[in-house]
Amino acid sequence: MREHVASILADVKAKNPMEPEFHQAVEEVAESLVLVLEKDPIYRSARILERLVEPERVIMFRVPWLDDEGNIQINRGFRIEMNSAIGPYKGGLRFHPSVSLGTLKFLAFEQVFKNALTTLPMGGGKGGADFDPKGKSDNEVMRFCQSFMSELYRHIGNNTDVPAGDIGVGGREIGFLFGQYKRLANEFTGVLTGKGLNWGGSLIRPEATGYGAVYFAAEMLGTRGDTLEKKRCLISGSGNVAQYAAEKLIEMNAKVLTFSDSSGVIHDEDGIDREKLDWVMELKNVRRGRIEEYVQKFPKATYIPIDPRDDQNPLWAIPADCAFPCATQNEINALDAKNLVDNGVHVVSEGANMPTVAEGVRTFQAGQVLYGPGKAANAGGVAVSGLEMAQNSMRYSWTREELDDRLQLIMKQIHETCLAAAERFGTPGNYVNGANIAGFLKVADSMLDLGVV
Amino acid sequence: MPHRVRHILLVSSLYESFTLTEDGQLNEALLRQFVDLNLSREPDLTRVSNGAEALELAKGDHRYELVITSLQLGDMNALELARRMRAAGVSAPVTLLAYDNRELTEFTARNDLSDLDRVFLWQGDAQLLIAIVKDLEDRQNVAHDSGMLGVPVILVLEDNVRFYSSFLPMLYAEMMKYARSVVAEGLNLSQKRIRARARPKILLCQSFEEAWGYFQTYRHQLLGIVSDLEFPRHGRIDPRAGVELTTRVRELEPDVPIVLQSSFPGGEALTEHLGVSFLLKGSPLLLQQLRGVLLEDFGFGDFVFRTPTGEEVGRARDLRDLQQLLHTVPAESIWYHGARDHFSNWLRARAELTLAEELRPRRLSEFEDPEHLRRDLIRSIQEYQDERASIVVADFHRELHDGSAAISRIGGGSLGGKARGLAFVGRLLAESDIRERFPAARISVPASVVIGTDVFDQFLERNALHDFAHACDDDEEIRARFDQAEFPEREREDLRAYLESADYPLAVRSSGLLEDSPQQPFAGVYDTYLLPNNEPAPEARLDRLVRAIKRVYASTFSQRSKAFLRATQYRLEEEKMAVIVQRVVGRVHENRYYPDFAGVTRSHDFYPQPPAVARDGVAAVALGLGQAVTDGEAGLRFSPRHPRHLIGMSQQRDLLNESQRRFFALDLGQEGDSLLPTRYGLSVAESDGTLAAVASTWSQENDSISDGITREGVRLVTFAPILKHEVFPLAALLDALLELGTRATTGQVEIEFAVNLPDDGSPPEFGFLQLRPIILSRELEELEIEDVEPERVLCRSSRVLGNGRLEDIRDLVVVRPECVGLGREPALEVARDVARLDAQLQSEGRPYVLIGVGRWGSTDPQLGIPVAWSQIAGSRVIVEAGSEAVRAAPSQGSHFFQNLSSCNVGYFTVNPALGDGVLDWDWLNRQPAANETERVRHLRLPAPIDVVMAGSKGEGLMLKPPD
Repeated sequence: MREHVASILADVKAKNPMEPEFHQAVEEVAESLVLVLEKDPIYRSARILERLVEPERVIMFRVPWLDDEGNIQINRGFRIEMNSAIGPYKGGLRFHPSVSLGTLKFLAFEQVFKNALTTLPMGGGKGGADFDPKGKSDNEVMRFCQSFMSELYRHIGNNTDVPAGDIGVGGREIGFLFGQYKRLANEFTGVLTGKGLNWGGSLIRPEATGYGAVYFAAEMLGTRGDTLEKKRCLISGSGNVAQYAAEKLIEMNAKVLTFSDSSGVIHDEDGIDREKLDWVMELKNVRRGRIEEYVQKFPKATYIPIDPRDDQNPLWAIPADCAFPCATQNEINALDAKNLVDNGVHVVSEGANMPTVAEGVRTFQAGQVLYGPGKAANAGGVAVSGLEMAQNSMRYSWTREELDDRLQLIMKQIHETCLAAAERFGTPGNYVNGANIAGFLKVADSMLDLGVV
Repeated sequence: MPHRVRHILLVSSLYESFTLTEDGQLNEALLRQFVDLNLSREPDLTRVSNGAEALELAKGDHRYELVITSLQLGDMNALELARRMRAAGVSAPVTLLAYDNRELTEFTARNDLSDLDRVFLWQGDAQLLIAIVKDLEDRQNVAHDSGMLGVPVILVLEDNVRFYSSFLPMLYAEMMKYARSVVAEGLNLSQKRIRARARPKILLCQSFEEAWGYFQTYRHQLLGIVSDLEFPRHGRIDPRAGVELTTRVRELEPDVPIVLQSSFPGGEALTEHLGVSFLLKGSPLLLQQLRGVLLEDFGFGDFVFRTPTGEEVGRARDLRDLQQLLHTVPAESIWYHGARDHFSNWLRARAELTLAEELRPRRLSEFEDPEHLRRDLIRSIQEYQDERASIVVADFHRELHDGSAAISRIGGGSLGGKARGLAFVGRLLAESDIRERFPAARISVPASVVIGTDVFDQFLERNALHDFAHACDDDEEIRARFDQAEFPEREREDLRAYLESADYPLAVRSSGLLEDSPQQPFAGVYDTYLLPNNEPAPEARLDRLVRAIKRVYASTFSQRSKAFLRATQYRLEEEKMAVIVQRVVGRVHENRYYPDFAGVTRSHDFYPQPPAVARDGVAAVALGLGQAVTDGEAGLRFSPRHPRHLIGMSQQRDLLNESQRRFFALDLGQEGDSLLPTRYGLSVAESDGTLAAVASTWSQENDSISDGITREGVRLVTFAPILKHEVFPLAALLDALLELGTRATTGQVEIEFAVNLPDDGSPPEFGFLQLRPIILSRELEELEIEDVEPERVLCRSSRVLGNGRLEDIRDLVVVRPECVGLGREPALEVARDVARLDAQLQSEGRPYVLIGVGRWGSTDPQLGIPVAWSQIAGSRVIVEAGSEAVRAAPSQGSHFFQNLSSCNVGYFTVNPALGDGVLDWDWLNRQPAANETERVRHLRLPAPIDVVMAGSKGEGLMLKPPD
């Protein structure tokens, strides 16, 4: 079987030279699927993996525009329509000078499985341009977006391909893109997600990832007949994800002990309640201050500065039940993971992307920790895009509560799917395997059903 | 017939000539000095701004006896002008008056200056102009006056341009006083005229041979010799030339007093056995000691009111005194002088030509009685003063003051550097069409009153503080003594009158003679006081104002300024302090006072971001007081020509992370000597109504930023309403002002401003706070940064300030990177350690390279190292390295911009972690430390490093010493 995978990889490299990011992504996915391919030979004979690595369609196009000085500028635009087996292509647009065909194919490939894992009907895609929004005026950004959409509009549609934002593409860019699409297509449909609330956007976008991570943790605890109530919880970070994870935890009567930023950690043994959280939200979102200020306002809490020379983060050495890494990549190293396990943490639900290093993951698994990898635990963000599409199709907007209920349901389904997949392939309780496999299974089974297309 | 310089052709930019003449001041200061020479003739200045014009004028009109030119004239340099003048048959000597020592040194090194008659260096003292003229006249007249009439001669031997440019004016001033004391004994003008001839001639010699020649000719008229210890002899600098000269002079004239000077303390020993006085050039008391050695101080030049019987009834020092005395002296005295044209003659001598011409033709018969004459004289003088005041700096008049004049003056003497700059701006704005082009804004210099340097002198003299202040090394004690000292009564009364119409917060700033000239980077050395000026009792307001003025005086003698002066090689004695009392631009909001926004703009951007290029300039603005910008805390940067391209803040994330979070305002209820700007959150500005014009709103749910603050969300200071929607034409106005400034100075400028956007329907106010020239190296030859082996590179940056090559630096002061960004206490310790090393290296005369992580001079210890310039003034190159730990945009030297460019200090910005430049930390860590603390290492390398900076390309390289 490993030979089979190796030959596929060799083929990918030969056919897609100069795309190292893509090679790596395929390699990682293929390795995590060895288990599946070994167990079920149908996927192999139907050449599912070989089909998956070949995008259904790649669009590459010229994006000419005039800068404010009247000079002609030319960028290269892309849309990778990777896989539409379970729904319209769905994935972000990235505007960054580093954008290339290889990077976008890699991102599109991963997006296929991420989207499938949400249990919503979304295929995978990715797009963007090598345009650098840095230093550009609003007008220049607008002219670029309009030119970009002038070509892209003929390839997308609410039932075909629904791009979203990514690096360099925020609410402003989505607005300019959507405006141009609407004008060219002469129709108001949900062809992009990440839209403004006034013109088809969805509520709870900022909340979704943090809430989702908490729902996922609750589901994991449920497998042991436990709940989040009164659990001592560590949260790293103090941005969106951390704040809303805290909000949901407080709602579920858990005890939130920490927040952090790049310079230090605050530890409030009394627990961060609703009132304190409101203060933190004001501090971080409105005043944009440092988390250190928390201890001036609430002197019973302590502030622990982070010494970049230290080989561990003091936050992960605080005795607790649950940990929600919501700050950044690789924030939990091997030592941190050990500290967590030693100090009683038995639930880790990742709000950030890949916050735990590989060795740390092994430590969690060895220590019988309920470990929800980011791929599954922070899928709430992706799920909201699906919910935005659904609302657009209905021409109806759900309330915050309705959306929250649906999010909770989706997280529950993701959890169940992961658990089932892990079970089905002989690693019960292993959410890492479950998450890797579940997305694949949904896409692969659909592809089998749809014939050779 | 003696030679007189009556017509001077001045070839210089408008700004330089303004610097020279300080407008109205020239007449007073310059011409008071000419009184002793010729009571009815005084030189006039014709100014042109380029070489071609000068040639044209001089060729067609042979009346010019002297041409004074700047170094660079746009179309040619001074040397070329001199040569072309010769070629065109113009005989007037051409004298170079340079404004920048560095530039002059470079020029001298590259050229043979023998076609120039003399070379001088401007150092902020208007008396230099007198010295230039006298020097020429004395050389031309010495044969007649001394050779035939026996007028005494003083020989001065000095070949250092910078030194004789400050020394000669002082010497001439002393001579004038001497001459005046003699002249004053004359009862009438014609007697004075004769006696005036007795002033000793001063002969400046630049070589042994020249001096010896003069000595042989005038040895019998020789009053004394002031000589440098070393100067050229046989075409080479001879360290023993002074001693040799003394010996040879003494052989022939054993009693001639001789003063030898040197910048080497060791010189004293050399001269001990010669029986001469020795003066140390670097000594802060040099000038005073010299005065003591040379001459005594007497008064002269007053208008003495007398009765027909000869009884003195009043004495006027200047025009203002004259005007005041005219109210009170007996009518018979006025009649007496009027009958003899004394008024017009005296005025003419003081260059008040217009007024003199107006008075002269009037006959006594036109007046009904002496009282009529009195009224007429007072009116004429007042009208004349008013006319002058309407253009430039008006003298302050208690009775007439209504707060309408932009800048008025209390007390005589100079305005000082900063105030001179303000006066210049006042005139520039008045003469340009900028106000017509921007009718929507009121553009002006905030109402100011300047207390002239004479008041400073008076204050020191009357309270006998001079010697004490020079000697005392305890700032607290100096402040205490100054607090207790008495402020001159007349000026105090003037201030009382001023306060009656000034009901707003005041800034009390220093305006030293040496301040704010481009080559004199004094920014921040002296104290500034901010006063709420809102006490209910007028007397309390006055007391607080007077105390602040005294405190500014005291800061002249603070340890900080003494240390600073030592580093710049200026003498404290040369400094005189004028004080500006200026309205703080702003509006009251409850108990807060601040402008809607403030900032700085520069005509040259050392770090241009596309689409802008360096010459498009750059501006940084912030809500509230300008501190936010000048402290580098949070300014929004943009090029005035590309206002929609925000520099470094074009993206949502940048704006969220970096845009202004807090603003500075004055809390008017604050206690203390000076208001400290207080920080407030943006929500305060929103409730004050000052946020709308400068803010945008971030919506988390929409993941976007919208301009203005009508929508719900988080407020961000983006200036979008102003820069994108032109609520106020800021960008266009700054661009126009920069253009105006660069045209007037023929160089690069920096402008500080503050803007009020009143909500009561009155037009926006643009307060022009300061104009400063920026020195850019005019080095045309590009330095090549050779391709060197990577292992020799200590530091390489493509973002470098500065230009030139330094090959004499062996000392490095390195802040350990891990010690930055750790918080307040460690940051202050780092600053202290650096300051200690700086002091030590300065005292050893060793230039050094300063290397550290984060923003140098940041007030936020998280962002960098909070040093003041005075703590690092001995550094020649500064390296600001980026790091993971310090998340801050590089300061690019902005905290010390003026100091850097003026002192020609290099500034390297690198961030090796991001692939931006090179800094070999490993190599630095491997070098043994000569000296180290927990946080700072001092390395002394066995051989100098090589620093190359190509300013116009913004690239630089530092090479390790060869192994």
